[in-house]
Amino acid sequence: MFEKVFNPFKYVAGMRSLILGLAFILATSILGYFSQTYFPDVISVKIGADRSFFNSIIQNFLNWFVVSTLFYLASIILSKSKIRIIDIFGTQALARFPYLFMALTGFSESMDAFGNHLLWKYLQSGEPVEISMIQKVMAISLMFVSALLTVWMVILMYNAFKVSANLKGPKLIWAFITVMILSMVILSNISKYLIF
Amino acid sequence: MNKKLPIICPSCSTDLKVKSLYCDSCDTTISGQFNLPVLLRLEKKDLDFILDFIRCSGSLKIMASKLNLSYPTVRNMLDDLIHKLESLDQDV
Repeated sequence: MFEKVFNPFKYVAGMRSLILGLAFILATSILGYFSQTYFPDVISVKIGADRSFFNSIIQNFLNWFVVSTLFYLASIILSKSKIRIIDIFGTQALARFPYLFMALTGFSESMDAFGNHLLWKYLQSGEPVEISMIQKVMAISLMFVSALLTVWMVILMYNAFKVSANLKGPKLIWAFITVMILSMVILSNISKYLIF
Repeated sequence: MNKKLPIICPSCSTDLKVKSLYCDSCDTTISGQFNLPVLLRLEKKDLDFILDFIRCSGSLKIMASKLNLSYPTVRNMLDDLIHKLESLDQDV
């Protein structure tokens, strides 16, 4: 059970994971648009972002495409195995599954309200915002859930890379960290031109 | 009873060698010092993998569906086995 939650790629990869993963990314984009949850790079999340429907779709697919391309390049350079591109792209698409739930967290306005409340109270920025204790508890709980979902997705991405590229040890860890940082830099720069 | 062929010395953990071979048809015993073939020095799970691989005509795709595992998982198992065989070859 534990293995299937954190490393489903032992059992699913290739075309099957690609189709499933792309369906989840599309569903995440649609939910994200309606809940105003925006994913500016491979792991970041912004709540209350007012973006167009196509912007939401393009950004989510771009997040997957850029990180998968970098993982594929790293695999070609570092792995001695015969790597299949469909395994890299397929498993990385499926690894983004937890962000489907992340897109749901945006439907609750408590996190956005709590953020605005903190900005007003401690940084004297924006309009005065008062929130109830229930909203505070709700916002903190959702932040905790969001953190868990992010950790879950990173673990899935790591295992997807490990299985599809057949890398082990320090080579795997350093390649993963480098690709994640590079993809965040590339995507945050591309995101600036995607605001429409 | 299907007895397991010991390949490691239980006393000092060194690879075991064959000292004698016996023919139970004509009661002949051959003595000497022979290395175990590389395949016999593999663990049972590795030998089972090789047998399954041959039964699947060397197709990793068929093997993956037979074992209910993904293609890259089976390919990684094969790559690990190739690496193990290379190490055993170097040890001889």
